[in-house]
Amino acid sequence: MSVEGKIEMSEAVQLAATKRRGQIGTLLSLTLVALLALMWIVLAFSTKSFWTYNNITNLLRQGAMIAILALGETFVVITAGIDLSVGAVVGFASVIIALLLTNGFPIWAAVIITLAVGLAIGVFHAFGISRLGLPPFIMTLATLTALRGVGLLITNGATISITNDEFTGFSRGDLIGVPNLFWMVVLVAVPAYVFLHQSRFGRYLFAIGSNTEAARLSGVNTTRMLYIAYTLSALCAAFVGILLAARIGIGNATQAEGWALQAIASSVIGGTSLFGAVGSVHGPLLGSFILTTINNGANLLNVNAFWQRIITGVLIIVIVYFDGLRRKKR
Amino acid sequence: MDQAQQDSSGRSGAADTATPILVLKGLDKRFGATHALKSVDLIFEAGEIHAIVGENGAGKSTLIKLLTGVHVRSGGEIYWEGQPVALATPHEAIGYGINAVHQEVVLCPHLTVAANLFLGDEKVRLGLLQHGEMVREAQKILDEIGFKIAAGAILSSLTIGQQQLVATARATTRGTRFLIFDEPTAYLTRQETAQLFALIGRLKAKGVTIVYISHRLEEVFQLADRVSILRDGQWVSTQRISETNEEKLITGMIARSIDQIHYKETIPFGAEILRTEKLTGKGFEDVSVRVRTGQVIGLYGLVGAGRSEFVQSVFGRFPKTGGQIFWKGQPVDIRREKDAISRGIALVPESRRDQGLCLNLGVGLNINLPVYKRLTKGFVISPRAETAAADRQIRDVQIKTASRDAPASSLSGGNQQKIVVGKWLNHGAELFIFDEPTVGVDVGTKVEIYKLFAKLLKAGAGIILISSYLPEVYDLADTLHVFRRGRLVASHDSAHSSEKTLHETILTEALGV
Repeated sequence: MSVEGKIEMSEAVQLAATKRRGQIGTLLSLTLVALLALMWIVLAFSTKSFWTYNNITNLLRQGAMIAILALGETFVVITAGIDLSVGAVVGFASVIIALLLTNGFPIWAAVIITLAVGLAIGVFHAFGISRLGLPPFIMTLATLTALRGVGLLITNGATISITNDEFTGFSRGDLIGVPNLFWMVVLVAVPAYVFLHQSRFGRYLFAIGSNTEAARLSGVNTTRMLYIAYTLSALCAAFVGILLAARIGIGNATQAEGWALQAIASSVIGGTSLFGAVGSVHGPLLGSFILTTINNGANLLNVNAFWQRIITGVLIIVIVYFDGLRRKKR
Repeated sequence: MDQAQQDSSGRSGAADTATPILVLKGLDKRFGATHALKSVDLIFEAGEIHAIVGENGAGKSTLIKLLTGVHVRSGGEIYWEGQPVALATPHEAIGYGINAVHQEVVLCPHLTVAANLFLGDEKVRLGLLQHGEMVREAQKILDEIGFKIAAGAILSSLTIGQQQLVATARATTRGTRFLIFDEPTAYLTRQETAQLFALIGRLKAKGVTIVYISHRLEEVFQLADRVSILRDGQWVSTQRISETNEEKLITGMIARSIDQIHYKETIPFGAEILRTEKLTGKGFEDVSVRVRTGQVIGLYGLVGAGRSEFVQSVFGRFPKTGGQIFWKGQPVDIRREKDAISRGIALVPESRRDQGLCLNLGVGLNINLPVYKRLTKGFVISPRAETAAADRQIRDVQIKTASRDAPASSLSGGNQQKIVVGKWLNHGAELFIFDEPTVGVDVGTKVEIYKLFAKLLKAGAGIILISSYLPEVYDLADTLHVFRRGRLVASHDSAHSSEKTLHETILTEALGV
């Protein structure tokens, strides 16, 4: 009888704990939405220019690229890995597409080839990590450096201007009032959501991040899943490289300096755990638009650009600290 | 306080001459809604070996944490040598000479044995570490206490058992007067266990008070002077070891008799599912065994005798280098885990935490991990099929969980083991390999695991059971194979001869003496 009583009690405790955890999880994403909304409201009242069509579409364009980058990064981080190279891939991809377009390739072909280059980079990352056994941090740090070098080498350090108006016009265009670049986020996020939350591959990524050995002993092809994760990350980065080239009209290997860290920060702000097995699609999206709003708002409020970096840093510490508290309560 | 002592000592049946070193009076601990310790009275006499037994969740770990200052009590008093003490920090506990050796090694794997022994207390001259001196000193300490370990070796190059001995050596070197062992032999080989017991004997002779916590009751009878039972956070009894026996202890812990523990049903054997002929691979050679449905094949031997290597080869972890594997009569080539899994071979690994489960993910995800392919329609998982599959296993294997989404880490050890089994049942496995399934689990959980065996066998599965605990394999296996140095040296069918002589025979075979 006492054993049953014990079980009932512990069940009740567990039930309460699970409920609480679920609530806190929802609470965090709600907190992020609330934080974003609060920033928008405050900015709308404190500046004349924030709540204008021009500024909002500009913000959506700015945020779009980091958002896609953060999404790709999240796949890798969920496996308890990291991809430091995404910024370099963006710059490299901008060079590739600029070269292809100036050499007369049609847009569709140039885009496909550039994405294929991104895919190849991702495959190379996974090869180094799973076959050569390099830590993800080292492998992607190495390609981060090397890719900038390769990009500079093939352009001889020069910036390639893109004269294709149809290509550069895309980034300025919109559809039913929403900028094309933001639609690209939707284009990536919807299949990403299905992949991560509704397909078995998503489950496998979480399982690998939680315990690779257990996943492998359960028949999960962990090597293949690593290939998929790093390829998706590099593919997203190459796609962002194309969008960036369209937006600024040039290809330059030194572009997107520091974007990898912004992507990781967005992902972490959105609740992704750098220890793996925790993450979502909506989290990094919210995270990236929170970061973009801070930059945009600080510009409008004439806050010194140096201060923006400090604020971003402080915000990352604060949000991740509270997230850690949430986890500890488990 | 005097009254408190008399009161409790009367109850615990202590001799009048014994001097208490540590007295607990009405010790109470709550974690939120959980009442982990309920007004526990205990007296530890100076220089005794005091065993504490109880099921998982009985409050043993909580007690250790209160005594070592890791947690602060919610109520009650603690007296150290007659003086009331707070015991609020680990630092304070260490100051009195209270130390603990934990089940899992908490040392720095990349440092040398000597560096670990002196961690936090290094020998320094003019601000420089005296490496040579520390290694020499450490070697002296290790030799003195009878541990055959090189002081200059990197800790991670040692076996888990040897690391455990280093942790023990560390705990004994710092003026310890009260030493708590929490399941110290869970990962030790026989020789290492013997070394540890010799050390415990020497510590006792030096007047150190020892608290010994173990699920292995035979160790309790070998070592302890007195034994206390905890159940559901409450003190049940304290007795001299001579006044009790194994059955009485178990009854006190769970109110269940020992016959019910090694639970076994008579199940008719069916067709052969697995046969190996002269199988050879890394760490074993020439092993021929046969498993039929409804049958438990026990593999007994020392750690490193080749049992685990053999089953890992059957499971495709390390492919065979010679011999033949037959699955249902057909020769098969198992090169990778996938080859084994797809045929219906399941491995329930020794370490649930490291190899068996994704602990911070949900119960349902863990159960479904091998079968997501089957649950997928097109590209998308069918949510209905996913929840149905998880719920069916939770019901069938009787996993006690708040929900299918609760993280596996929130479940008890036995229920975690059930997740691993449920996962493979879900997949339709027919041969279950259990590698040390009951290491570090309590009696109640053991019974549940053994009942699970019967359930699997009745459902038409076969079982290979690896265990270093002879009574377990002996009672449960229908055929028992003994491994020594990578070879299968003997086989016994159950109910062959009297238990006592067979035990001795098997031990002799395993040790090779």
